[in-house]
Amino acid sequence: MNTRFLMSAASMAAFLALAGCASSPGESIYVPIGGDAPRAPEPPRTTGEAEQSTVWRKSEQPEASEPAEPSPRSTSPSYRDSGESLSPAALSLIREADNLLAQGDASGAIARLERAQRIAPRSAEVYFKLSEAYVASNNLGAAEQFTLKGLSLAGNDAQLQRAGWLLLADIRRARGNVAGADQAEQRAAAL
Amino acid sequence: MKKSNSSPRSPRKTPRKSSRNGRRPWFWRFFFRFAAIGFVLLVGWTVYLDAVITSRFEGRRFEVPSRVYARPLELYDGAGISSGGLERELQLAGFRKGDGSRAGTYRRSGGHFVISTRGFQFPDGREPKRRLALNIYGDRVQDFSVLSGEASPIVRLEPAQIGGIYPSHKEDRILVQLEEVPALLPATLMAVEDRNFYDHFGIAPLSIARAMLANIRAGEIVQGGSTLTQQLVKNFFLTRDQTLLRKGNEAIMSILLEMHYEKEDILETYLNEVYLGQAGTRSINGFGLASQFYFGESLKDLDVHQIALLVGMVKGPSYYNPRRHPDRAMERRNLVISEMEEAGLIDSVRAARARGLPVGVSGKPSYSENRYPAYIDLVRRHLARDYREEDLRSEGLRIFTTLNPAIQYAAEYAVTDTLPRLASGETREALEAALVVTAKDSGEVLALVGGKDPQFAGFNRALDANRPIGSLIKPFIYLSALEQPERYTLITPVLDKSFALEFDDGRRWEPKNYDTKERGEVPLHEALSHSYNLPAVRVGLDVGVGVVKETLQAFGVTSGISEYPSMLLGSVSMNPVTVAQMYQGLATSGFNTPLRTIREVTDPKGEALSRYSLEVDQVADPAAVHLVQYAMQETMQEGTGRSAYYTLPKELALAGKTGTTDDGRDSWFAGFSGDLLAVAWVGRDDNGPTSLTGASGALPVWSRFMARVPQHGLSPVVPDGVNYHWVNSERQALTDEYCDNARLVPMIAGSEPDQTVSCSGTLQRRIQGWFEGFFQ
Repeated sequence: MNTRFLMSAASMAAFLALAGCASSPGESIYVPIGGDAPRAPEPPRTTGEAEQSTVWRKSEQPEASEPAEPSPRSTSPSYRDSGESLSPAALSLIREADNLLAQGDASGAIARLERAQRIAPRSAEVYFKLSEAYVASNNLGAAEQFTLKGLSLAGNDAQLQRAGWLLLADIRRARGNVAGADQAEQRAAAL
Repeated sequence: MKKSNSSPRSPRKTPRKSSRNGRRPWFWRFFFRFAAIGFVLLVGWTVYLDAVITSRFEGRRFEVPSRVYARPLELYDGAGISSGGLERELQLAGFRKGDGSRAGTYRRSGGHFVISTRGFQFPDGREPKRRLALNIYGDRVQDFSVLSGEASPIVRLEPAQIGGIYPSHKEDRILVQLEEVPALLPATLMAVEDRNFYDHFGIAPLSIARAMLANIRAGEIVQGGSTLTQQLVKNFFLTRDQTLLRKGNEAIMSILLEMHYEKEDILETYLNEVYLGQAGTRSINGFGLASQFYFGESLKDLDVHQIALLVGMVKGPSYYNPRRHPDRAMERRNLVISEMEEAGLIDSVRAARARGLPVGVSGKPSYSENRYPAYIDLVRRHLARDYREEDLRSEGLRIFTTLNPAIQYAAEYAVTDTLPRLASGETREALEAALVVTAKDSGEVLALVGGKDPQFAGFNRALDANRPIGSLIKPFIYLSALEQPERYTLITPVLDKSFALEFDDGRRWEPKNYDTKERGEVPLHEALSHSYNLPAVRVGLDVGVGVVKETLQAFGVTSGISEYPSMLLGSVSMNPVTVAQMYQGLATSGFNTPLRTIREVTDPKGEALSRYSLEVDQVADPAAVHLVQYAMQETMQEGTGRSAYYTLPKELALAGKTGTTDDGRDSWFAGFSGDLLAVAWVGRDDNGPTSLTGASGALPVWSRFMARVPQHGLSPVVPDGVNYHWVNSERQALTDEYCDNARLVPMIAGSEPDQTVSCSGTLQRRIQGWFEGFFQ
């Protein structure tokens, strides 16, 4: 483990400590299903259950031909400039992973981080942390991919982008990809 | 060990008085030697047979199935789940409604829950016992707190057990234990096949004679002479030849079995081994599987007439096959019912009622009693693909899967509820469907439906129905083009105009649009969102069929892809799971994530066999994928997918693509939200025509599913190197937000139009624009 990694890992850790208390830039819209849907029919146990011949009401009829316009949506395709921040639950799992990494238990850390990834799948930090854990377990290929994934979600957050590019540069250099490392460093410098 | 091939014969001393006194000493010497050799051979042979039969028997006894678990539910502030969904999860995981203070109980009042967990040993550590309280409001967990036990902002409930499988077997067996079998079954079995089972020592010479008499009296075979033990031995070494030698071997082995094992063990093994039918290359062994196979029911739920039918089939499973020869099977069944009555197992009233019932076999054969057969099927395949067979032989493994019961429930409901509404009459009967749901960013398979009857383990369409994907291929054609930003952008005009291709061998190919219209020049984003065929083929030919094929392969398609131009209209066949794999990369801005159903496998002591880690692999430029996602969102808002919003709330931003093949033989829809990717297929098993398109068949199934799961809308982060601009695509120019024909479109840096058109939008419209949103 060379010191450069420790440097970027430290900067990442410091960054994540901030992330927890940073104000969240508008999260993705969560759409509840609105009340409890009616119960689905019990699984059929035997044949001979009379099938109800339900027919779509006209208003629900999905047609192959030109359907009547549904209520016009004012929205155009959605996008966001900033990535999503971490929830406290995800952050607590990342802290656990950090402790495990400090004890040298990389696979335990990866298990915690995968839990965090499931509950915060669109936050760049989780992927950068995964990258760090893979560096610790000497799997630089996976580490590089997770860094790229994190970068694809970092959005316009210059600080996060910069941390990601520097991490990528370190990993690429360790893998012997000097040109790729230089390129990543230029990206970081340009921010 | 080599064995001699001479038939072992028990040495019999039969003193014979020979008149030839002179030869006597020589003759006896010879005779004793011969007898001694025979005896040694027999003993050796018996020892050999003993080894064979005990190893065989041991391998079949008390096999402990692997326990398969759903994913554990994670509870924390902000977790997305409805109160009904949480209650179902709790019940599946074995929680009982109660006071919420004893471990394993919960209390619910409206959206308020108090849950007492039992604690669980997960592969990555122990989850301690806790008492939790939370409220569910707007389908989200709030006010989460740990009332007692170790404090934590996030807690995993113990996972629901969703099935048991025998991973080292090629097929699922349904092993039963004697104590869980209805007592009537072994009793009937003995009454019909082996009345003295508990008294004989493996073979019963008397019963052979009695059986012959009974058969003569009845004028047909009603009883067999072999004991159950002999039949079991016969089942172990399934050969049909009934030579005297084999019969001898069977007899010896039967006696040996009886010497080694208790009657109950032999009976239990018999119940699990007996051959009861054939399905293609697969043999149906054991009453547990036979019960599923013929009745689609669990053995413990069988009624008198069903038990009688199965016992009757022991005699000749193909001769008495109730699906093929219902009358013959019925007759045989009623004979067995009479035997039951005669033996005093049932009274005459029950017997008469049972005789009056139809054969009652299920329409389609089922092979499993697992609640989620299609999903478990995929788990089995992943086990075989990713684990060493010798590791899987260990008994009592614990398999932690990624199945999300709430989502599986919604997926099954969407299929069963929608399919009958899509057609009427014969087509309705014939319509089938499959639905695959994955977690967008992790590639975990959350739910799988393999047919219109999701509980039924038969043909698994999600994995085995390979069908042409039609227009589902188009996003990959345009992605290949948009990866060349110097040549293609979302507003590049593409030609919607027919043409013909001449092949070297003189054949002509003339693709057509679905509506047979032609629109001339259209912007690329519209060509994709409205799924026009002609521009897709033109663009595909322009970037090259080989390049499109490489894109598909990069996105995880491993099956063969033809290089004929017709592949550009989706002539390439795939199953729904492969389509999900391919769309995973589109849904995650260009990262291929292998689909997984297994998180971990541990041995009974909790030691992990090996871990499946999350993997990602960048296979496309995120900038180009972002552009394709834009057009796929447009599909939902203005294009072929817009009818989804009849069912779905308009706040839920989605992206997707329809697919239809000739004559509506296949109707596809693949699409994703912020959290989920789902692929739906609707069609007929006989590949017959329907009146459906992707939008009228698969899309309603997909939308109904999406409408029942609380989730985040899609809002992709703009990747580095992409900027949004107001453009006028007709003029290929940048423009102002309030001009007519202005559209906000993402462009890869450097590919923006270099002209700008201003417009004389009316003052009123400009003023409206400035204050838009102020007064809402």
